[in-house]
Amino acid sequence: MKYVKGAIVVMFLWYVLALLVASPIVPFPHVVLLHGIANFMNEDMHRHIISSLLRILAGLALALTMAIPTGIAAGRIRMLDRIVSPVMYLLYPLPKIAFLPVFMVLFGIGDVSKVLLISVIIFFPAAVTIRDGVKEIPTEYLELAKAYHLTRTRVFKDIVWPAILPRIFSSLRITLGISLSVLFISETYAARYGLGYHIMNSWVMAQYVQMYASIMVLSLLGLLLYILVDLLERTFVHPRKK
Amino acid sequence: MLSLQDARVDYPGHMAFDHFNLSIESREMVSIVGKSGCGKTSLLYAIAGLVPLSQGILRIKGGASACGIMFQQDRLLPWKPVVDNVLLGLRKDRKHEAETLLEKLGLADVTKHYPHELSGGMRQRVALARALIRKPALLLLDEPLASLDERTRERLQDEIKSYVAEHSLTLLMVTHSIAEAITMGSRVIVMTPHGVDFELHNAHHAETDLRQKDEFFAMEKLLRRHLEDLP
Repeated sequence: MKYVKGAIVVMFLWYVLALLVASPIVPFPHVVLLHGIANFMNEDMHRHIISSLLRILAGLALALTMAIPTGIAAGRIRMLDRIVSPVMYLLYPLPKIAFLPVFMVLFGIGDVSKVLLISVIIFFPAAVTIRDGVKEIPTEYLELAKAYHLTRTRVFKDIVWPAILPRIFSSLRITLGISLSVLFISETYAARYGLGYHIMNSWVMAQYVQMYASIMVLSLLGLLLYILVDLLERTFVHPRKK
Repeated sequence: MLSLQDARVDYPGHMAFDHFNLSIESREMVSIVGKSGCGKTSLLYAIAGLVPLSQGILRIKGGASACGIMFQQDRLLPWKPVVDNVLLGLRKDRKHEAETLLEKLGLADVTKHYPHELSGGMRQRVALARALIRKPALLLLDEPLASLDERTRERLQDEIKSYVAEHSLTLLMVTHSIAEAITMGSRVIVMTPHGVDFELHNAHHAETDLRQKDEFFAMEKLLRRHLEDLP
């Protein structure tokens, strides 16, 4: 229901803008919607959506595979934190998107460079969030583990992992938005399929209705991924008092 | 069961306590009272192996693993249901044992509940079950009932006391409540940052109507005077 309300507000503002601008550059939402529905069945559109989805999921998976152990290690081992954190702070603010040409030279113009770029950009906020989550685990719980002689594996399984799981989902939510933006940019270079490519191609060809329809699909893709994250969180994070 | 000789605990920048000597026999119940900051909790943590002794000798029959500790806060893990909190660090095949223990403590209906769904008294009972399932020879209590209302506190005091007696455990409790110290301890020790100030043997400890006895009030008065006289 909350998504329907949000969509109604966006549509209303869009109508107002289309009326005010009165130019093909801002078409009416119902025109875009009808075009989008008609084209959604198109096999070509399926390839664009699937290409983008796979790049995002691969980028997220790769980033989290690196960020979770890095964040946990930096949060648990003070000596490692002293080395890893300054490196992360130094690299975090760099405009990594500027390295896309470098990635293309190193890893080719195919999907590998795009996925790597997405994962590198997501890695830093995810690792920092997870590291902070580990550091914020109440010392009382770790003392409890010591008092009850828990093994390292049990400390991780029973205390560290469940304590940081909400943080991992938070970082997923934050990085999902970033990854969609990066996906768009990475697909505007040397791509034949992908929503970013489709949006830019429609713009170049002055097919504004198609361009907006693709933007709408990209936005829906983001929404579906957010819903998926919420569902996963509800399944894996046990209820607790906020 | 336990002996502590000339013990001292230091933290960075300050000393918790020093020159502390204590000897506890098996199946004895000992309460320690003292002013805030006299090192009661640090003493218990040192015995449980949570902080190292800076000086002195600590001997526990069976080592640190013979100790079961109940903290001031229940420290239940919010992401685990009651029965899994009790089984923390133990094999899952002891679930039936955990449920039996919870039933004994009046928690049969809440084994699958999460900690935030329980009252303060119930949470402390779960924490007690978590300590007891490990069958500790020495049960260490760090003011675990301090945050509870008077009635719940007295009921839990009686429950713990009878469990400890029934299972031949040894009890060491630190508390700031004189009444609680007398109720729980066959021996009450007044602690200062520089060792034991006073020791009282509670001959009426095992009596069920102890709280109503004149001797209880007399002991309370005596201990209060000692505490008030401390610098």
